[in-house]
Amino acid sequence: MANDAPRLVRMTGIGKRYGGVLACQDVDFDIRAGEVHALLGENGAGKSTLMKILSGDITDYSGEIAVEGAPARFGGPVDAQRAGIAMIHQELDLVPGLSIAENLYLGREPRTRIGTVDGRQMRVWTQALLRRIGIDLDPRRPVGELRVGEQQLVTIARALSLDAKVLIMDEPTSALSTAEVEQLFAVIDELRREDAGIVYISHRMDEIGRVADRATVLRNGRIVEEFDARSMTAEQAAEAMVGRPVRTLFRASHGEAGEELLRVEDLTVHPRRVRSGRNEPAGISLTVRRGEIVGLAGLLGAGRTELLETLYGAGSAGRWDGRVLLDGVDVRPRGPRAALAKGIAFVPEDRRISGLVLEHSVLANTVVSIVDKLRTAGLVVSRRAEQANAAESAKRLRVKLSSLADPVGTLSGGNQQKVVFGRMLLTKPKLLLLDEPTRGVDINAKAEIYQLLGEIAGQGIGVLLASSELAELIGVCDRVVVLRGGRNVRELRTSEIGEADLLAATMGETAAGGAR
Amino acid sequence: MSPDPDVTEVTENGRRRIDWRETLFSFQSFFGLIAVFVAAIVFSPRRNGEILFLTSDNLFNVVRAVSEIGIIAIGMTFVILVGGIDLSVGAVLGLSAVGSAVLLVHDDLGVFPAVLIVLAVGLVFGLLQGMASALFGIQAFIVTLAGLQIARGLARIWSDGQGVAIAYGDGPNEAPVTFSLLGERTFGGVVPIPALIFAGLAVLAILFLRTSAFARHLYAVGGNEKAARLSGVPVNRVKIIVFGISGLLAALAGIVHAGQLNQGSPNDGAGYELDAIAAVVIGGTALTGGRGSVVGTVTGALLLGVLNNILALNNIDANVQLLIKGLVIVAAAALQRLRPSS
Repeated sequence: MANDAPRLVRMTGIGKRYGGVLACQDVDFDIRAGEVHALLGENGAGKSTLMKILSGDITDYSGEIAVEGAPARFGGPVDAQRAGIAMIHQELDLVPGLSIAENLYLGREPRTRIGTVDGRQMRVWTQALLRRIGIDLDPRRPVGELRVGEQQLVTIARALSLDAKVLIMDEPTSALSTAEVEQLFAVIDELRREDAGIVYISHRMDEIGRVADRATVLRNGRIVEEFDARSMTAEQAAEAMVGRPVRTLFRASHGEAGEELLRVEDLTVHPRRVRSGRNEPAGISLTVRRGEIVGLAGLLGAGRTELLETLYGAGSAGRWDGRVLLDGVDVRPRGPRAALAKGIAFVPEDRRISGLVLEHSVLANTVVSIVDKLRTAGLVVSRRAEQANAAESAKRLRVKLSSLADPVGTLSGGNQQKVVFGRMLLTKPKLLLLDEPTRGVDINAKAEIYQLLGEIAGQGIGVLLASSELAELIGVCDRVVVLRGGRNVRELRTSEIGEADLLAATMGETAAGGAR
Repeated sequence: MSPDPDVTEVTENGRRRIDWRETLFSFQSFFGLIAVFVAAIVFSPRRNGEILFLTSDNLFNVVRAVSEIGIIAIGMTFVILVGGIDLSVGAVLGLSAVGSAVLLVHDDLGVFPAVLIVLAVGLVFGLLQGMASALFGIQAFIVTLAGLQIARGLARIWSDGQGVAIAYGDGPNEAPVTFSLLGERTFGGVVPIPALIFAGLAVLAILFLRTSAFARHLYAVGGNEKAARLSGVPVNRVKIIVFGISGLLAALAGIVHAGQLNQGSPNDGAGYELDAIAAVVIGGTALTGGRGSVVGTVTGALLLGVLNNILALNNIDANVQLLIKGLVIVAAAALQRLRPSS
């Protein structure tokens, strides 16, 4: 249907070299009007490089770009924007303290006759833009008050305010809840109807089938295949991305769960200081058995992260009601250090912000949690023990690296995540708490992490896994506990349900009524 | 990297291939020191053909002057490595200089108890600042800015606002002669005692930062406090101890100061915190924390010391001296930004 639509952008023979590494090699890529073109590939396949070239972030490349038939060479992002190409970054580049309208027109505010900023005009325009993509927000609200999903939509509105004809979306759903993803897709459909061209980068196969028309797969900087996105299967795409058949994505079953490890009884947290945007546990009961993987499902704001943080002693300070029993013993860790000592480990949601010291070595990041147990005498740490533990961990988790001394920030997302996992496993936990463990991780690393989870459970470690990827919850977990408003509302055995059931359960009756 | 994505490569010793550019930059402050040293020789005034800068008397002066700032700067390095800053060190130096003088002269205490009391005061002062910062979540800048005022106030109260001269002897209101050792030289009159203390502390600090579990924690806190906390690093304890170390070393520098000048004044050490910070920055330690070394700081302190000395030898106007020092600090910081891979 879109195949005979005019080409908005045509990139031909694009090449880019970083030192000895060819990030892109002879890539042809085009975007047609009214089309969503998915760009797939593992981390490091060249997706970002290609899109940075298109959005004017990279200016020294070989090959040609034509915008609506006319050759173009951008000197920077501003040139690209003028040509109607806008990139929506994974990291939201909004100013939290300014209102939606002020953010949209930052640096190009409309003026009144006497030269002051024309706030009313700005609000009227903003309102019109927001309405165009079907969202209802007050233009005067500070961006910092909005949920992440809403902020994402604001960045799209900003791109539209620049008259963008081509929008590049890099992992736009990575921080969104299921309902927000739906809203984003509605916006994308609207843009498609208006004949915009959209490049959609994502690791989530299910989304691509839903939203994209065409899918192009990059591997090692080259285009390897182009699919009709609607008929493409996840296996086909994965195989093209990795270059060989991928093992079953989800873990093999890992045997029977053992006796009860964790019991949470009616846990409620009364924080000393109430912080907006936090949804503290408000009456949660659940259990995890040894060797069992229990999923935590729920919309954004259901309180998944807050529950995990509370169990790890990293939640809000304040009074607790209810009990948390680990191996039948009442526990209330005063902090992460105490939690680790009791055998509770935690892999946080955002490894770059809360997981790693990016500029420090893989070695330092791997052993930091156990380093005071590796002392030989007095204060001195045994370097040999550090090396041995880090090397062993990297080997076991199959971390791809050239040296343990490399800064961990130079590794790919999946390998960074494995370093955080490795660090926690070195503490020999009984219970492993995971918050979105595969977010922003490419498909191969994802499969490895799932396999690793199977191994971990096989050793009798109990796992509590929060995720907003329904396929992941169903594929990996034995049971899923659904949270809503800080309490557990349903519990489902994954062998008996599909994604649709789980989605319905997370939204619940009230939420389902509110969604369009 | 292997083309096969399944192969895990781990070099056994974990050492990274050495990038010459990186090596160059990691020795940046060292090259800077050599450059300044050479410049000092070239621009040194001469008398009877003798290069004044290289005379043992002059080098003695350089090293002695460097020692006080250097001792403080070692403590400052610890604080900056965790991402903090300690503005109180100059005032704590003053407090401890005047405290030493008062205890030795007015209170007729022996050297050992006097030194012990003064060191304890510095340590406790630092620990309290650390607690205020870590436990109440107040920025180190604010806490130690307040600490600076408090320490200055305490110093004036302790001495009734007067400088206290230290006379040596066995009589009342005389300090034991042993204390005057701090102003002396050893090894055939070449090495000043304070320099020996500084060098010893530097070696200790370097070893401590390279080998101890505490140092691993310290770097982690400075690199990413949130990640460190979630990794089970006792973040608050690390921060408190680090401020304690800084206070302790500032107090030690104050004792050295009193010993060298044979007096203690509550106004001693004014502005020293800025010189110490400058030494740390020139030494390549990142003010954001998590990256840096005491080796760099020692080099930075020496560089500043030589620079000060050569400017003074040439009778450069004091105000112009400040200007040149400022420019050197900016240049050093700018060079840091060019550093690859960080």
